[in-house]
Amino acid sequence: MSVDAQLIEHMMNPKNYGTLDDANTQGMGKNPENGEKVAIYMLVANDEDNPYVAEVRFQAIGCTTTVVAGSMLTEEVQGLNFQGVYDLVEATMGFLDKLPPEDAACSEMVALAIKAAVDTYKERIVDPDYPMITYKIANSCTPKEEAS
Amino acid sequence: MKKTMVKIHEVWLEMLMAGFMSNTRNREVLLDFSDILFRHFTWVEHALILSGVSYTYDREAIPVKVDKLSDLLHDIMQRLSTIKVEVLHFDDKELSGRIMSDIEYIISVLASMEDEVVTAFNMQRKLSDISLTQEATDALTLFLFEETYKEYELILIYNYLKAHSNNAYMNRIFQILIDESFYHLKRFGDMGAQMGILGVPRTVMKELYQVTDIVQFLEEGINEELAAKEECKKLSDAVSKDSTELAKFFDFINYQENYHIALMKDALKYYKRENNE
Repeated sequence: MSVDAQLIEHMMNPKNYGTLDDANTQGMGKNPENGEKVAIYMLVANDEDNPYVAEVRFQAIGCTTTVVAGSMLTEEVQGLNFQGVYDLVEATMGFLDKLPPEDAACSEMVALAIKAAVDTYKERIVDPDYPMITYKIANSCTPKEEAS
Repeated sequence: MKKTMVKIHEVWLEMLMAGFMSNTRNREVLLDFSDILFRHFTWVEHALILSGVSYTYDREAIPVKVDKLSDLLHDIMQRLSTIKVEVLHFDDKELSGRIMSDIEYIISVLASMEDEVVTAFNMQRKLSDISLTQEATDALTLFLFEETYKEYELILIYNYLKAHSNNAYMNRIFQILIDESFYHLKRFGDMGAQMGILGVPRTVMKELYQVTDIVQFLEEGINEELAAKEECKKLSDAVSKDSTELAKFFDFINYQENYHIALMKDALKYYKRENNE
């Protein structure tokens, strides 16, 4: 990861880090290779039947890159309606092949956790007891030169 | 009492950060006070365990970015005053008496502490007397963020394990590992403050410290220590051209990990034998 002032700010003060007591949905992104994971806690509100992300928090078992990705993406997701969230997730996934493998895995984990939270919310409209959805990442955290 | 433990947790970390920010003789006093507050935290935790109350190490984010040390000290004094009132209602009067007496003294010292300009957040990313290349500076920056959090995480994990164990053999090992992580946390915090990139470690997810499988935890922990050794080695190599002093420091931290691994292997062997695994 190249280090600039914006990244350092996210490392020093990760935005939206922690849990959310009044969250009404959660999602998880997981790296099956090493057990790293990102949990998203989200409060979804409704604006004339158009649900949107009113508040979001995240926690991570992972590296600093994951925390930076979580800090940046949760800032972006705040206030978006569901279509906006899916667009953001898709844009992030489309950007992954331009990142170093370990950074791609971290960003994917956060993006999928956000998607999982929204999908969990939608499932719970039908079944309030629907369990939290967990998505597993496809990218490997291992840098290419080390993988053999 | 549960809420009070969270508040003590927060003020312990805030005091620790204040110590890192100081460049005068205040530093030692503040770090000693943070050690006292950590002990208060463990005592209140023990009282909760005795009462059968479940708890986590969740806490709020702690804003510490200030221009003057006195701004942070005022906040700490306010927090301590609140804790003092809450502690008054504890059933264990010996415990509340001790904590209240400590807090009174700490507040009196903080109130007369000489003010300092804080440079711990200026993002200059320079260590005094050491000039590093951009690559080495970036590597050191990432290392400090990663490892500062990791040491805080380890302190909480081993503290939780120790708090829930009555086994003297295991607790001796846990205490050594807590002490070692405190030393590392303080050194990395000092360097972070010197570099102008000081940050409060993020909260630790409860899955990490509420260990359900101690064998798996120790086995994975040994692998993590081996990975930490690699990181220290990489960093030592990255900075060796610019500073032999800094390279030596990271080699020293690297060698310390050997003993941590030996202790964890010892704990693993002992635990398996005791539990016929």
